[in-house]
Amino acid sequence: MTAKRRSTALGYALIAPSLFGVVTFLLLPILVVVWLSLHRWDLLGPIEYVGGRNWRSVLTDKTFGNSLLVTLTFVAIVVPVQTALGLAVGALLARDLPGSGLFRTIYVLPWISVPLAIAVLWRWILAPTDGAVSTVLGHRIEWLTDPGLALPVVSAVVVWTNVGYVALFFLAGILAIPAEIHSAARIDGATSWQRFRRITLPMLRPTMFFVLVTGVISAAQVFDTVYALTGGGPQNRTDLVAHRIYAEAFGSAAIGRASVMAVVLFVILVTITLVQHLYFRRRISYDLT
Amino acid sequence: MTRPRFSTLFALGWVLVAALLAAAAVLLDVTARPPSGKTVVTVRLWDQQVAKAYRLSFAAFTRTHPDIEVQTDVVSYSTYFNTLRTDVAGGTADDIFWLSNAYLAGYADSGRLIDVGATFGPDIASTWEPSVVQQFTRDGRLWAVPQLTDAGIALYYNADLLAAAGVDPAALTTLRWNPGGDDTLRPLLARLTVDGDGRSAGTPGFDPNRIRRWAYNAANDAQGIYLNYIGSAGGVFQDGDRFAFDNPAAVEAFTYLVKLIDDDHVAPPASDTNENGDFSRNEFLAGKMALFQSGTYNLAAIAGQANFHWGVTMMPAGPKGRVSVTNGIAAAGNSASPHPQAVGQVLAWMGSTEGNQYLGRQGSAIPAVTAAQKAYFDHWLSKGVDVKPFFNVLKGPRIAAPGGTGFAAGNQAIKPYFDEMFLGRSDIATTLHRAQEAANAAARG
Amino acid sequence: MTSLKKPSAAMVYVALAVGAVITLAPFVLGLLTSFTSAHQFATGTPLTWPRPPTLVNYTNLGGAGFGRALAVTALMTAVSLLGQLSSSVVAAYAFARLRFPGRDGLFWVYLATLMVPGSVTVVPLYLMMAQLGLRNTFWALVLPFVFGSPYAIFLLRQHFRTIPDDLINAAYLDGATTLDVILHVVVPSSRPVIVTLMLITVVSEWHHFLWPLIITSGTKWQVLTVATAALQSRYNAQWTLVMAAVGAAVVPLLVLFLIFQRHVVRSIVVTGLK
Repeated sequence: MTAKRRSTALGYALIAPSLFGVVTFLLLPILVVVWLSLHRWDLLGPIEYVGGRNWRSVLTDKTFGNSLLVTLTFVAIVVPVQTALGLAVGALLARDLPGSGLFRTIYVLPWISVPLAIAVLWRWILAPTDGAVSTVLGHRIEWLTDPGLALPVVSAVVVWTNVGYVALFFLAGILAIPAEIHSAARIDGATSWQRFRRITLPMLRPTMFFVLVTGVISAAQVFDTVYALTGGGPQNRTDLVAHRIYAEAFGSAAIGRASVMAVVLFVILVTITLVQHLYFRRRISYDLT
Repeated sequence: MTRPRFSTLFALGWVLVAALLAAAAVLLDVTARPPSGKTVVTVRLWDQQVAKAYRLSFAAFTRTHPDIEVQTDVVSYSTYFNTLRTDVAGGTADDIFWLSNAYLAGYADSGRLIDVGATFGPDIASTWEPSVVQQFTRDGRLWAVPQLTDAGIALYYNADLLAAAGVDPAALTTLRWNPGGDDTLRPLLARLTVDGDGRSAGTPGFDPNRIRRWAYNAANDAQGIYLNYIGSAGGVFQDGDRFAFDNPAAVEAFTYLVKLIDDDHVAPPASDTNENGDFSRNEFLAGKMALFQSGTYNLAAIAGQANFHWGVTMMPAGPKGRVSVTNGIAAAGNSASPHPQAVGQVLAWMGSTEGNQYLGRQGSAIPAVTAAQKAYFDHWLSKGVDVKPFFNVLKGPRIAAPGGTGFAAGNQAIKPYFDEMFLGRSDIATTLHRAQEAANAAARG
Repeated sequence: MTSLKKPSAAMVYVALAVGAVITLAPFVLGLLTSFTSAHQFATGTPLTWPRPPTLVNYTNLGGAGFGRALAVTALMTAVSLLGQLSSSVVAAYAFARLRFPGRDGLFWVYLATLMVPGSVTVVPLYLMMAQLGLRNTFWALVLPFVFGSPYAIFLLRQHFRTIPDDLINAAYLDGATTLDVILHVVVPSSRPVIVTLMLITVVSEWHHFLWPLIITSGTKWQVLTVATAALQSRYNAQWTLVMAAVGAAVVPLLVLFLIFQRHVVRSIVVTGLK
């Protein structure tokens, strides 16, 4: 066997397990979900072909439209807030004062914890009867069942979970800025705020890009938190898309419609990723190595 | 022989670890249910209290059928039908499971259930409560063994609160609701609602934001409240499998209810009751609600936890009299069960007087086997509670309990519309119209 | 400049401390509640210190199937870890250092799958498992995850590419097989990244909820997250018990984290810099 053929055979042999996994459990499902979107199935009966009916029905469905809107609002609240707070905390940690290590550990704890369990924990904290917050305030507030409060509260819980994690990325980014640049600026008389604005922030662009893109993608897929905190309510005010797909598939037993929603979500996420990639790629030209 | 290469050792080690993990998985699989040499029949239900009664019943069954062991599996109601569907579809559901009328259609139509009529013969149905038999008959066949009936809806009252307001419980039987005049319900409810300063509703200075005591549990509650109001106004909720609540009588009923909540403030705000089905019951139990319209499914809780004098009377009559909904629960046999014979025997026991009467003994539910109902009546008689209102109301016309194909999807579609409506934030007629369209569209799938 | 820094340092501490309190308070409160007896919780205020602290809520969890849930979760994590790590390391090696036709194209396909959200794949995966008769089995829990993760392969490949060619060529010249090279050269020089990946894998497996929720049923194969959700809906207002469930689901991971926290923090930093 020539060296090249050996290398080829070896290469394929080594990637075989992961290739099998990727094709079977990531690519094939995409095809299947598109196929399912053209059928009607309630899990119990047979799968019947219905053509475009699910598509027409879902794309004109008020509940689905509401779900997309809720998701958009949610992402628009969560991502900027967690990025800003993460940046602030990261900058504070970058001062590297004694004890920063301990703070770092503390801030990451929510992210390490199981999202479903965190949601259940907050369910108690926010419970109007016997909850921690009600007891402290001495006053009942329907944090999770008031239509106006539910989505902001759920967003706050998600931000609370993510700030530490985001902060670590910014911390790494800030620490990677060569000290000489800052010293040179200081010698030139720049104040710390000016240095932050003119040096730190611009050099954090790659990190910012990463944090924003991954933030949007993961915020758009939040499920566990909604399931345990509000179940999508009140009145579908916290019915994020991932939850809507679940409710449609396993609550209403409308697998075909749920598949349509899944395809729409997929297209939206891919579009966002590509757009952000193209937009930011032009603006990132620093090579710090 | 040379010492084996590290990489070979590593590969062997990897295989060993993998094998150990696989063995652990198999072990976990096998230890899931300790084998006892008997056939194990599993029964799934959602009510913890009734499960206790079943355990006694099944213990008696095993005494006469020593080779069959029956185990109960309690799944919380909020996830019961979601998980049941995926389990039945996956062939991993319990051998016997509870069904309510609302969810029968999908299972019956796809052949997942044992045909009870065919298995036990046509005569057996006459030993069971007719309304439940009817609910679980589809396409002329009976698909489950009736276990419990809720009887009808009646009015629980807090006698102490009534006395404090100078209301005679006997007066409750003459209560009428009627938007067109001749209405005695609204004035009474206003008298019974009291704010933080002791003022009753409708009097000057009454503060609806600081209500100390509610009068009634008007809410987005199908079985306890609105189905009965629709029926008592002469309307319907469904027509066969189709949602049909967009009719003038239903509009009248909902308008009346929403007025009670959002204009008169005699019932808790929908923001409390929309998301919490137990809210009103808990208020009643805490002595903060004078009248609580509900069914026998809350009787045990009230009898056990109320620390005030209470009683039961007929629910208010509407323009077309008293029309109540009644609901039943039946035990269906899984047609994919690996031991159909044993399942048949357990089902027969559950549908027999001896087996079913355990459910009535603690008074927590009414057995659907007619001959076994005596235990229920005796229990409450001994406690001095008159349960006749729950049954008397069924002597008149009834409104059918909702169900049919696609009910789950339709019901989900309705929820946001009805929630908005009860919050007083939308026009009733338009909302019902839109909700009905959405529900039927969702039900069609 | 030092005069400007001192008050600044105090402000930094204050700000960090406020944030730390907000971060820790829910955990502390939840834990305290889990050690409170139901009786004390109902009769006192919910925030009184448990007097005396009790383990009864945790022992009650055993009756609710949490012992088994812990075993299932741990085993699922171990199996997925073994499978993912092994297949990702060898695949990353192939992508990083071997030449074969279609290599780059295939790698882009792998990267593209990173954009596929979980909620999109669950329904088709459910159907596939249904067809294979694998619903409510242990294997259904791990199968979609055990064959390697594109994310891990991406990270590892980045790192493997930086290993000096000389090291690898020298090993081959000494008669090493590919497995030898991987074990003796590649892995040792990638230890931080590999430890990172192990931790990320363990954390993300432990967090799994949606997939176990729909593919398993009942108590036989429920994982900790599913058990916690089921317990919360069944014992809705019994907060002492529910908080114990939260504790049981979260504490094992937290302990693991505290032991390896240096690595975890570094791992987050490493992924961010790429």
